[in-house]
Amino acid sequence: MLGFSNDSAGGGVGAEDLAQLQSTMRAIELACSYIQINSNPVAAEATILSLHQSPQPYKACRYILEHSQVPNARFQAAAAIREAAIREWSFLATDDKGGLISFCLSYVMQHANSSEGYVLSKVSSVAAQLMKRGWLEFTPAEKEVFFYQINQAILGSRGLDVQFIGINFLESLVSEFSPSTSSAMGLPREFHENCRKSLEQNFLKTFYQWAKDAALSVTNKIIESHSSVPEVKVCNATLRLMYQILNWEFRYSKGGTRASINVFSDGIRPDNASARKTECIIVQPGASWCDVLLSSSHVGWLINLYSSVRQKFDLEGYWLDCPVAVSARKLIVQLCSLAGEIFPSNNVQMREQHLLLLLSGVLPWIDPPDVISKEIEEGRSGSEMIDGCRALLSIGTVTTPVVFDQLLRSLRPFGTLTLLSMLMGEVVKVLMANSTDEETWSYEARDILLDTWTTLLASMDGSGGNAWLPPEGMHAAASLFSLIVESELKVASASATTTEDDADCLASVSAMDERLGSYALIARAAVDATIPFLAKLFSDRVACLHQGRGTVDPTETLEEVYSLLLIVGHVLADEGEGETALVPDALQSHFVDVVEANNHPVVVLSSSIIKFAEQCLDAEMRSSIFSPRLMEAVIWFLARWSFTYLMLVEDCNLGSNQLQSLPSRACLFTFFNEHNQGKFVLDIIVRISLTSLMSYPGEKDLQELICFQLLHALVRRRNICFHLLSLDSWRKLANAFANDKSLFLLNSGSQRSLAQTLVLSAYGMQSSDASNQYVKDLMAHMTSSLVDLSNNSDLKNLAQRPDIIMLVSCVLERLRGAASATEPRTQRAIYEMGLAVMNPVLRLLEVYKHESAVIYLLLKFVVDWVDGQLSYLEAHETAVVINFCMSLLQMYSSHNIGKISLSLSSTLLNEAKTEKYKDLRALLQLLSHLCSKDMVDFSSDSIETQSTNISQVVYFGLHIITPLITLELLKYPKLCFDYFSLISHMLEVYPETLAQLNNDAFSHVLTTVDFGLHQQDVDIVTMCLRALKALASYHYKEKNAGNSGLGSHAAGHTDPNGVFHEGILSRFLRTLLHFLLFEDYSTDLVSTAADALFPLILCEPNLYQGLGNELIEKQANPNFKTRLANALQVLTTSNQLSSSLDRLNYQRFRKNLNNFLVEVRGFLKTR
Amino acid sequence: MSDDEHHFESSDSGASKTFPQQAGNIRKSGFIVIKGRPCRVVEVSTSKTGKHGHAKCHFVAIDIFNGKKLEDIVPSSHNCDVPHVNRLDYQLIDISEDGFISLLTDSGGTKDDLKLPTDDFLAAHMKSGFEEGKEVVVTVMSSMGEEQICAVKEVGGGK
Repeated sequence: MLGFSNDSAGGGVGAEDLAQLQSTMRAIELACSYIQINSNPVAAEATILSLHQSPQPYKACRYILEHSQVPNARFQAAAAIREAAIREWSFLATDDKGGLISFCLSYVMQHANSSEGYVLSKVSSVAAQLMKRGWLEFTPAEKEVFFYQINQAILGSRGLDVQFIGINFLESLVSEFSPSTSSAMGLPREFHENCRKSLEQNFLKTFYQWAKDAALSVTNKIIESHSSVPEVKVCNATLRLMYQILNWEFRYSKGGTRASINVFSDGIRPDNASARKTECIIVQPGASWCDVLLSSSHVGWLINLYSSVRQKFDLEGYWLDCPVAVSARKLIVQLCSLAGEIFPSNNVQMREQHLLLLLSGVLPWIDPPDVISKEIEEGRSGSEMIDGCRALLSIGTVTTPVVFDQLLRSLRPFGTLTLLSMLMGEVVKVLMANSTDEETWSYEARDILLDTWTTLLASMDGSGGNAWLPPEGMHAAASLFSLIVESELKVASASATTTEDDADCLASVSAMDERLGSYALIARAAVDATIPFLAKLFSDRVACLHQGRGTVDPTETLEEVYSLLLIVGHVLADEGEGETALVPDALQSHFVDVVEANNHPVVVLSSSIIKFAEQCLDAEMRSSIFSPRLMEAVIWFLARWSFTYLMLVEDCNLGSNQLQSLPSRACLFTFFNEHNQGKFVLDIIVRISLTSLMSYPGEKDLQELICFQLLHALVRRRNICFHLLSLDSWRKLANAFANDKSLFLLNSGSQRSLAQTLVLSAYGMQSSDASNQYVKDLMAHMTSSLVDLSNNSDLKNLAQRPDIIMLVSCVLERLRGAASATEPRTQRAIYEMGLAVMNPVLRLLEVYKHESAVIYLLLKFVVDWVDGQLSYLEAHETAVVINFCMSLLQMYSSHNIGKISLSLSSTLLNEAKTEKYKDLRALLQLLSHLCSKDMVDFSSDSIETQSTNISQVVYFGLHIITPLITLELLKYPKLCFDYFSLISHMLEVYPETLAQLNNDAFSHVLTTVDFGLHQQDVDIVTMCLRALKALASYHYKEKNAGNSGLGSHAAGHTDPNGVFHEGILSRFLRTLLHFLLFEDYSTDLVSTAADALFPLILCEPNLYQGLGNELIEKQANPNFKTRLANALQVLTTSNQLSSSLDRLNYQRFRKNLNNFLVEVRGFLKTR
Repeated sequence: MSDDEHHFESSDSGASKTFPQQAGNIRKSGFIVIKGRPCRVVEVSTSKTGKHGHAKCHFVAIDIFNGKKLEDIVPSSHNCDVPHVNRLDYQLIDISEDGFISLLTDSGGTKDDLKLPTDDFLAAHMKSGFEEGKEVVVTVMSSMGEEQICAVKEVGGGK
């Protein structure tokens, strides 16, 4: 007996024991007070720790809890009980287990009125943890005893304090059983999962019911009394408990889908990767909860409680932020997002009634919006209003726009959308009025309401354009949008004269982009009104600019135009990142009565902006109106617009919906096509681009927008290339690129992109010959300048001149841009371009060996060129390229191995290291590209004539590079990725090459693979696993064929000191097994890991047997022992697995491994 | 498409110590002259003079000889001075008692005006490499009338 069973409570403590217990208590009390005054905390902590770690400290703990006057000592005693009991659980007698729990429970109930709340909640949470620990052993009758006690407490028969304690205990219990908040106990995952399942299925609803009853029992008292009463505390606790229970991640209630444990990673709820800022969790407790939550007028009670108390304290502004008010509102908002099977599918009204009831409760918080916002501005708390917005968001998440709008109609003469629009309108007005940067309630409310709109409208967008909002809803959206635009413009003009910090600016650009995206959705919900509205605003502002030219400072208007361009861009077109951008459905399907293109509002708006942009071609206009910042917006708009509207090809950009036949749609589509205005607009765009490139020297952002976004977007569309080449303006651009000095002044990225764009446009030539000739003419000047320079007799001195360095850099960037645009049609010309500069490249590598920036450019050019060319080359050409790469590698390594740089500045030394890292990455990429020749080859030669052995080059390259790669460097993610993709590729394709490496190089490569296996990145681990598979299967196959395979590397060796070092395959077998059984990883890795494990097991069957036995021996639980033994057996025998490495066997083993892991990880991995 | 804009003939090689270059074109890790000192740029940021004004570049750079940090702001369309930085390799042929070293020039003469670097590790490294008879290559950086050893490399040989 440990002194905790009920019968021994009270008596039976001898005098000697008593003295002992008292001295322990003193020691702990002293230690606690020392910690508090921070005197010798180490010793004090040691004292407390010794209590935690002493065997069976229960008596002492109990004594301290019951007798100590120091609350901290009582706290520590409770903690010690928890520690010891969890540790010694399996040795405790059943009576003692129950005894500990009931001691804790009766302790908290007896001391329920104590003022040290933290001691009570600690003891209560200890009881909860111990109860969970014994959950699966206790019989239902035993649990019943505990829960009877709790229930009695909660019912309130033993007073309010005890009632509160009971609820508090349930709170701890629920949080212990929920995976994301449970405490670690060193037990298998399976245990936690079973507890969770049992609680969810058998208790959770009962707890909720108890909480409800408890809340009901105090409701009248709260409503009737005229001041704050102690019942409020109980009420708050019940509300919190109900909120917590509804937050439970329900898994076992969904009909049909039997959830199983996710054995591969901890079962923490994954983040919803939505763009929304506000979290909205949908509550889906399942059909069985209907009686508790819906049919028992629970919601009505809650709403009633909140509103009556709210009314009572109407004059006391602070009440809205009282804990009980906050909890009640949280619960109400949560109930708004109730969904799923709890609503019978044959009873639609039930659901609508539920939402209606909630909405009617929430309405006083937000309606009428103007009055409420005024009250908040006058000092009332905004929290209630914000919760009201959250409730709307929740309702919007679980309904369709039409249902959402209908809800309010039985309560008000207008729909919910109108209310939403009015509410947001008020918020926007408040934001406009105080444009301080301070975070206020209005910012939060705006974000939540915007999310609500996005949620509602995004469900309609893309559903074929037929789902329109009801007319009143459209009107609401339109008036809200005009308010929003007005406020954006006001903010813009107000900010025109302030100069923001650059960093702030960048962060706010992406936030703004997101916001504008949401605004665009609102605008598209009511295009009939919003598009003409935008057109009007734009022409007003432009007129304003023209009128004031030369007399008024245009900055404010410029900023407004800037904002308008961004808004219009978002409304008219989506961001077509990576795919064809479609004309938004709403714009296609509306404006049905328009028959002439000139009157189509979208055409009118687009044309007016293009016309405005065209004015920048005039030098005078440019200097007076088109500031660099405005030009950026113009170019951004043109890029986005042209990608969606310019020269559409039928069927491709139209999407396939039922709108084909609308005449309004037809005129929208044909207006900007090649037979109509398209070519004219294209010409304007090219002219604007060229002018902006030449006339805004040093404006980097603008140049990048032109090169990366606008021009690049144009040549991405094949049909546009044909027209580009026929334009005079495009010829001018190409000519300026080749000859005009001012384009040499663009920054490097833009140079490259421009070269790429021009080469890509060669696609528009009639024939392949013509395309090649076009590229040749374009690049001839660049290649010849490099050749001339490298032949100059005074190259060594000349090369160091800053102007020459700049010229070389510029030309290399352009060559690289051209190389990266290689396509079948232009491959010849680009091959010849590279061929012509091979020798110059090597000479420059020599003379610029100390100028790392140039070296990097040289390497990158070669990397891109080889990448683009290699797969097309014939055998003799390949040989030329390979030899060139060899010389390059040799020269680079001769310059860099053994070199030590020095500088007085550590910053400069670090810079030098970074540059080396970048070079190394480029070299890795080069090797990877060389490898690819064996995989992808379009040349006409058959494989036999392949005269160069690429594996030799790569082998040689690896020798050069491995000494430069360190584990430290592999911490850079990009380098790490490149390195492992090369290694895994090498091992898969040329495993024999690796076997030939000397011991040092070999073990270096494998050390890095081991390092890679322990990375977080799934891709890296996958590549390492593939490398292992390749290595092991190569060895196994060679062995079977009677060869040595990896030879001594695999066999292991005994070093001079007599210590045996096991072979690499054995080492990896251990590592991999440990990884699979005990570490966290993504499920995606299992099949790749199976592919690596299978050949490893075949190579080292004895070791595998040994490891398996070791694992079985380690299991203490006999049940687990048998399960593990069986699972290991099944892993290698089921599914007719045999010992040959063919596809079928790999497949079988993958299946086996997956089953194996599901079976054993549940108990092997502990928490 | 050919013209004769770019000539590589240099009649007065080395005569000019600096060259003008547009500020917008000077990149990180490029060279720049700030307050009369040759520097290497470690940070460039651009900003606008007022929302609708022109871009300007803010350079943070480090003096390549003494390691001191310098800053400058220049409108990005204006020109900056870029120093002519030359780096030449020499073979180390002798280290004298007083710390001066002898280097072999391309033309076969010797260059004896440089001392061992102040960095103890590197000086010791050079000495030991030299004493072991390895071929030691020293890179000397020179710009705007100053020079300094900036790198050392052993090419092997020796025992």
